[in-house]
Amino acid sequence: MKRLDLILIAGVLVLAGVIYLVFLGSAEDGGKAVITVDGQVVQELPLDEDTTYQVETPEGYNIVEIKDGWADVIEADCRDGLCADQKRVRKTGETIVCLPHKMVVTIEAGTENTVDAVVG
Amino acid sequence: MRSSKVAQYGLFAALAILMGYVEMLIPLPLLVPGMKLGLANVIIVIVLYHMDAKSAFFISLVRVLMSGLLFQGFAGLMYSLAGALLSLGVMALLKKTRKVSITGVSVMGGVFHNVGQIIVAAAVVENIKMAYYLPFLLVTGVVTGFVIGAVARLALGYLQRRT
Repeated sequence: MKRLDLILIAGVLVLAGVIYLVFLGSAEDGGKAVITVDGQVVQELPLDEDTTYQVETPEGYNIVEIKDGWADVIEADCRDGLCADQKRVRKTGETIVCLPHKMVVTIEAGTENTVDAVVG
Repeated sequence: MRSSKVAQYGLFAALAILMGYVEMLIPLPLLVPGMKLGLANVIIVIVLYHMDAKSAFFISLVRVLMSGLLFQGFAGLMYSLAGALLSLGVMALLKKTRKVSITGVSVMGGVFHNVGQIIVAAAVVENIKMAYYLPFLLVTGVVTGFVIGAVARLALGYLQRRT
């Protein structure tokens, strides 16, 4: 290993960190919250419209709130209530899960920025 | 061209294609599209040091075309070609400066292999957001490039004692 080796490697890693931070800050906000119960999509809510939606499941209900671009489960009658405790989400791929009701809220990209490509 | 050189070309090209095939047999959790071990690059780095940049270029070209036709199809071939040529170009330049060791050369080769692929991918889907994957690919490129550099250095030690 020579000195320039270390400089190059450090440079690449720093660059990776910078790009990561820049993109996390802006481009990765999701477009909609997709609510599924037992794997079936029951409702899609765009994140740019404030609303509340009551999810009815065979086991009970969850109330999903969309506010200021965030999705959150604010109330539920499940036995542990963990879904209501989970932090609100807004970035693509983030989820809120209610295991007793088999209900999942997933943030997905809106239609305008779907990344769908396979790189070989 | 001396016949021993012809034999070397054939041997290294075959090894490079084989490495690409071995890599496909290893199941990898595909966290990021485009993430690859880049085993074939071991051979390219060895050729770059054992023979020269021109040989490495032709062997790389043969490898990409052959494994593209054999395993991937046309779309995969485009990504591979962009990655392989950009990677080799950067490695040859860095080696020429003589200020970078085989490890650094190999690391930058791995990094630019991924950069080349993502550029083509972004152009194909016409979505610059593919760049979101870039940081992950840069880091994996550094790691795999580091390992490949070490393997190539060891292999070159044996090769030079034999010839």
